Parts: sequence; C-alpha cells; structure tokens
Amino acid sequence: MAFALQVLIDGLSLGSFYALAALGIGLLFGVLKLINFAHGAFITFGAYALIVPSMDTTATLAIGALPAIPLIFLIVVLVVAMALISEFAVFRPLRNASPATLMVGSFALGFVIQNLIIMIYGGRPKAVGLWSHLSEGVQLMEGVQVPGLQLIIIGVTLLLMIALVLFLKRTRWGIHMRAAAEDFRMARMLGVQADLVIMLAVALSGVLAASVSLLFVVQTGILDFRMGTPMMLFAFIATVVGGMGSLVGAVVGGFAVGMLSILLQTFLPSEIRAYRDVFVFLAVIIVLLVRPQGLVLSSAAKERV
Amino acid sequence: MLEVQDLQVRYGRLTALRGISFTVAEGEVACIVGPNGAGKSTTLNTVSGVLRPAEGEVRFDGQPISGRSPEKIAALGVTQVPEGRHIFTALTIEENLKVGAALRRDRDETRRDMERIYDTFPILGERRGQPAGKLSGGEQQMLAISRALMTRPRLMTVDEPSLGLAPKIVDRVYEVLTDLRKSRGLTLLIVEQSSERALKAADSLHVLRNGEIQLSGAAADLADGEAVHKAYFGFTKDHAGEVMI
Repeated sequence: MAFALQVLIDGLSLGSFYALAALGIGLLFGVLKLINFAHGAFITFGAYALIVPSMDTTATLAIGALPAIPLIFLIVVLVVAMALISEFAVFRPLRNASPATLMVGSFALGFVIQNLIIMIYGGRPKAVGLWSHLSEGVQLMEGVQVPGLQLIIIGVTLLLMIALVLFLKRTRWGIHMRAAAEDFRMARMLGVQADLVIMLAVALSGVLAASVSLLFVVQTGILDFRMGTPMMLFAFIATVVGGMGSLVGAVVGGFAVGMLSILLQTFLPSEIRAYRDVFVFLAVIIVLLVRPQGLVLSSAAKERV
Repeated sequence: MLEVQDLQVRYGRLTALRGISFTVAEGEVACIVGPNGAGKSTTLNTVSGVLRPAEGEVRFDGQPISGRSPEKIAALGVTQVPEGRHIFTALTIEENLKVGAALRRDRDETRRDMERIYDTFPILGERRGQPAGKLSGGEQQMLAISRALMTRPRLMTVDEPSLGLAPKIVDRVYEVLTDLRKSRGLTLLIVEQSSERALKAADSLHVLRNGEIQLSGAAADLADGEAVHKAYFGFTKDHAGEVMI
C-alpha cells in the first residue's frame, strides 16, 4: 500500500511535467494548427533566465535570488515575452503556410533559441540551488516519505489546469479561443479577433512553459541547454497519445506517459532499466495502432454529420 | 448596399469567378442560384473577406471592403451563415451565440437578444447548456442563423440553407429568413442550387454558372422560369431533349 502510494505520487509528479508541457503545445495546436517544437526551448530559456548571463561554470543567481513572488512573476513575463516575440517573428509571417512549414519553422526557432543559450551561457550544465528546502521529505503516512516538492508540483499543476479550464469555459476570450480552435474561419466571420486570440494562446503557452521551467529547475537543480528537449518530446508524445487537438487528451496523455515511465522504472529489471524509454515508446506505438485517433476524441473528430 | 464589381477570384491557376457584377439593395432578398461549382460560395466568401479577389471590388455602403479581414468586415455588419452551418460543436448552444456576440460590448442588450432567440426557437433555449453538436441538422441551421443574428448584422449572406435538410425543415428555414427581413429590415443574400425555392423567396435573382453571371433580374419578371432555366443549364427546356440525346 505504502509502496503503491509512493509510485503513484512519483508517476503523478512526472506526469504533471508532461501534462503542463503538453497543454502548452496543445493550446497552440488548437488555434494555430502548429506543433510547436520550440516549446522545449521556451522551457530551457525560462530556466536560464534565473541566472546571470555568463560563460562561467558556476551559476550566479540573478532573478533566481529574488523572493518567490517577484521571481515567479519575472520568469513568467520573460517566457511569455519570448513566446510573443516568436509569434511576431516566426509564426505570424508563416500564418498562411502549410502546417508542415510551420512545424519546420518551429524546429528552426527552437534551434536558434537553444544555440543562443549556448552562446551566452556556454554549453556545460550548471548547478543552481533554487528553493532546495522544498525537496525535503514529507511524511505522508507510516512508511511513506515523499519529497515535498512532488506534492507542490502536483498541486501547482492542478491549480494551473483549473485556472485554464475556468478561463476557457467562463471568460469571453476563453470561449473565443475554443471557437477558434474548432473552426477558425467561422470564428473570424463572426468577428472573433484572430490575432488577439492567437497572441493570447501563445502567451498562455508561455505561462505554462515558465511553470515547467521553474518546477523542473527546483527538482533537478541543474541547468542544461538540452533540458527542455526531452520534456517537449514526451509532451508531444502525450498530445499524440491523448488525441491531437484535445486539451483533455493532452492532460490524460501527459499523466499516462508519466505514470508508465515510473511504473517501468519501478518494475523493469535493473539491467534493462536504462532502456526505459524504449518501452515507453513501444507502448505509444501500440496505443496508436489500437486507437489512431488518440485516447480522447477531439471535438473536431466527433462532429456530427 | 452591397455592390460587387467585375469580381475575379482565382484559386491558384483555377479561375472561380470571371468578373461578376451585381448589387444588393438595402432591405431586399437577393438570391444567387447556380449549379455546383458555379462560384456561389466563392462569391460569399469573397464578400466575407475569407478570400481576396484577384481583380474587381466589393463595396458595402459605398466603401470598398474587399481585401479587409473577415473580422473587420463582420464589424461593419456583414455576416455569413456558411454552407454546412459550421456550428462550434464542442461549444454549448449558448456559447455559440456568445461567439456571435464577439464584437459587442452591450451586455444587457446581448442578453436580451439571446432571450429573444430562445423565444423564437424554444429548442435552443431548452438545450442552451448542451453541446451544439448534439442538435439535429435543422436545429443546427437555426442555431447558425441565430448566431449570425447575434452579430446584429445589416447584411446576412446565407450559403445553401436547404442543403441536407428535409423539405419541411427547409420551409421553416425560409419562413425564418423572410420573417427576419420583415421584422428587422435585414438585407439577405441567399445562395441556392434550386432556383424554384429562390424564385419564391427572392426580390431579385442572379444566375451564376461557370464563374459568370448569366442572368440578373427582378424575381417577379423571371417568375415563369424559362429564362432562368436557360441561364442555369445553358439550354431551354424545349431543346433539353435534343441536347441530352
């Protein structure tokens, strides 16, 4: 029982990362039909923004040395700014291009950001101690001790998801965004402001990327220019497994992939544990063979004929 | 109110409209009829700003609107009920109507308009909280018209409102559309494949075939249908047999 709870919390906290990143990708896919492969670079950028730009091997905290609230605020603002710059410089000029072109454009953007980070901060991983006290263990029950951070990650993810749902369901702009995600042209013919809706989606995906940046740095304590890449890869897989175009699917997919990774990590024999991801990908292939549309049907797919 | 002048629209190398001209007067019901692929939807989509003309111009209230974005044209009071209705199926009925009010800031008036729609179409009111995708085809058509009304349009273009609906429901749709003209002074530009239906509802009629207007006139003058038939098919009923053979 205690063991099961431990595994569950591990799985949920890893799944939280994937779900948050998948939501960021899913939001943009909804309104722009863009698979944003630069999302991982946004996450990396948010993490590096914590320290003083330099090639030094040891990191000096800048924004990262501020109290929590201004720190979070500044990182979110910076990542959102980066996302909006990307929208103006890359996505908007490609607005009418094919989805494939957009995707390649986002790849290029990701590489540019990643290489700028290498140029400014150097290619070597750096250690940063951010809020390390959060990682202390918390006694949940007899024999179950989990890092408090994991609970925070799960809690923050839930809060962000609730906030996003309230935004999408209850606000004028949220409703416009959902309408635009289903049928962009129709929404525009009714007067929905296309550019604003897209900018809003881009900004929200920036907020989600920034939250992943922060949680991830606190958990790992390491900055690495590659850090966002696996996150984005798994998040992309999560959106595909969950059902492209469905935000619920992105969350379900994120948690499913996270949970599976932890289960494999726990139960695979130690000699093949290093190949965990191979089994995750295998499972993804099987899911897609059985349910090519993904676990959750998107609204576009269940349209009544 | 609406002037379309020498409008040419191309999809790549394919020319869909070869320089058409027509006008729609304020308060009238104008109909464009024509066979599949004549360029009817292209015409409406160019008016709505979804497509940009290669040549020619669309004017609304005397000002050129071709080349403006769909949301800007919507803001001027031109709205479209598109072919296939394009309901937001994942949104509730009420949310669909709210998207129709995207440009409006008058909350109380918006609310009142919504209640008015629920009075006219009780089924929409009863199911306001349900996903719009669950409505039947006819109900979706009513919702599409209602959603367009929420924009408070002055000109409503309607693309094949009878498509895929049972004759009885088509009658109801036309009843609703002609009522709108009466009650709100709404100007309508309706596109149809069937000329009979259009002749009954319209004040003026334009026959479109192969991207060209073959015939334009007052519906009353074209009532016997002979000239319309010739313009529509390219041959008269008398000679139809010969051509077929």
